[in-house]
Amino acid sequence: MTSVVSARNVSKSYGSIRAIDDVSFDIEKGKITGLIGPNGAGKTTLLKAVLGLTDCRGSLSVLGLDPFRQRKELMQNICFIADVAVLPRWIRVTQLLDFIEAVHPRFSRSRAEELLSQTKVRPDAKVRELSKGMVTQFHLSIITAIDAKLLVLDEPTLGLDIISRKEFYGNLLNDYFDGERTILITTHQVEEIENLLTDIMFINDGKIVLDASMEDLPERYVELMASTENAEEARRLKPIYEREVFGKKVLMFEGVSRDRLQGMGEVRTPGVADLFVAKIKGAAA
Amino acid sequence: MIEGQIALIRRELWEHRAIYVMPLVIALLVSLASVTGQVAVSAFDHAVDIGILGATNLGENARSAAITVLMISLSSTFVFAMWILTIFYSLDALYAERKDRSILFWRSIPSTDFETVLSKLLTALLVIPLITFVFIVLTHLVVLMATSVWLGARGANTWHLLWTAAPFIDNWTATLVFLLALSLWLSPFVGWSLFVSGFAKRSPFLIAALPIAILPLLERIVFDTTVFAEAFFVRSVKMPLFRGLDNLELLFQEGEHFKMVGDASVSLLSLLDLGRFFSSPALWLGLVVCALFTTAAIYVRRYRDDS
Repeated sequence: MTSVVSARNVSKSYGSIRAIDDVSFDIEKGKITGLIGPNGAGKTTLLKAVLGLTDCRGSLSVLGLDPFRQRKELMQNICFIADVAVLPRWIRVTQLLDFIEAVHPRFSRSRAEELLSQTKVRPDAKVRELSKGMVTQFHLSIITAIDAKLLVLDEPTLGLDIISRKEFYGNLLNDYFDGERTILITTHQVEEIENLLTDIMFINDGKIVLDASMEDLPERYVELMASTENAEEARRLKPIYEREVFGKKVLMFEGVSRDRLQGMGEVRTPGVADLFVAKIKGAAA
Repeated sequence: MIEGQIALIRRELWEHRAIYVMPLVIALLVSLASVTGQVAVSAFDHAVDIGILGATNLGENARSAAITVLMISLSSTFVFAMWILTIFYSLDALYAERKDRSILFWRSIPSTDFETVLSKLLTALLVIPLITFVFIVLTHLVVLMATSVWLGARGANTWHLLWTAAPFIDNWTATLVFLLALSLWLSPFVGWSLFVSGFAKRSPFLIAALPIAILPLLERIVFDTTVFAEAFFVRSVKMPLFRGLDNLELLFQEGEHFKMVGDASVSLLSLLDLGRFFSSPALWLGLVVCALFTTAAIYVRRYRDDS
């Protein structure tokens, strides 16, 4: 196994606030990991630490490099989109291609131009003349044309309409992802990326509360939709979270086999969004 | 490294178009003014003809001196504007990228903070003077050509009057040296501006100007000395580049009557004293101050965390 990102006891404080609190995890090569957490959970801080934009305590290694101290080497093998607003508005499309071609050893201009020709982005346009969706397409085209090992996306589709969001993830999978590259992504719109993730991590109050592969989820988590009477019985199996839908009780269990729940109601695998709520709210309860 | 610097500096020119638009506008205005002036003066037909006759009979040195004065007065407009441009550029250089949040994009590119800040320093200290120089030369040529056409139409021998008399090489070399020396001489202000531009949350201009206004005042009140006042204000007008003169005295010598440098010497180059300039402790102190502020700007960009 080759770890692209390896974190051991990583912490970062702002004054008395612990944005990341003693976090350890590994991200393997070729995985698409979703980092999911509520606002202020430490997602962005963690990404910044991975990108070498901020220093942190503990041991953090990205592609075998210390991200903060070897940032230039790191940036040759890593790409990131922080959110759609960050491309400089005054620059022309061709100018930005010229610039990246000159400073980035792994950028293929012809590939970027090929990808751009499939979009509505005109080469002579300025970024400020493009719509938000086009800016994101442009940014993704640049990044796809960079032969990088790790792509970090922080809320890449924030503020985009649904068509642009679908297009973005479609292009990401079709043009960018090849099984060799690794993607780390944060977003609020969990449902949209659920199907493309191979792994998920939940972060809350600076701590990782779940780190699992998507394949393992059905085994570890199970949801039961039961009538009120059956719910009584099911509660003895210690659900991690309970909610009510259309008069029925929905209980979520961790580490409880499906067989034990059969007969009490409808058994299914919880969606990532529900799991997320259960993990975060359950932890708070 | 060098290739990266060229790309980064080119990037600065794309973003800050004022670097070449401003001297271009000045060049156009100055050229236009000189043509308008010629048209206006043409009203005094008789006097102009006598003037041309007089000028034709002047000696070689006197004609060169007169043209030197013309060239210097054209250049000086650019020098003043260049300094305003340099300071405003430096104040914006590290501020704009934070204001529009594009810094996150620029930091995703494999260039270090050192390389990026260096490209901005080089733009301020080297690229702006060089571009200004090119426009000065073009303006000289345009104005002399316009004058040549005008005088020629009045029957003067412009080859004799202007073109053989104008000390181009001497004047341009001296101008270039002057512009670059001025950059080095005033570099502490550039360093300071870059630093402020890197940390100010808003209004970098005010934040940069305040200490320059207040420190000399405080010093005067508390210690009754003028170290800061001299460092800030006298520095901007007194550059030890000229043989026995400071730059303001170049145009205006002491006494009531100002005396143009052309009277003293036709060669501007011969007035420059690079030995005096480079052995001036004030120059080196200034460069050290510039380096310190620039280093601080690099650290601020590196360690600043806006989240």
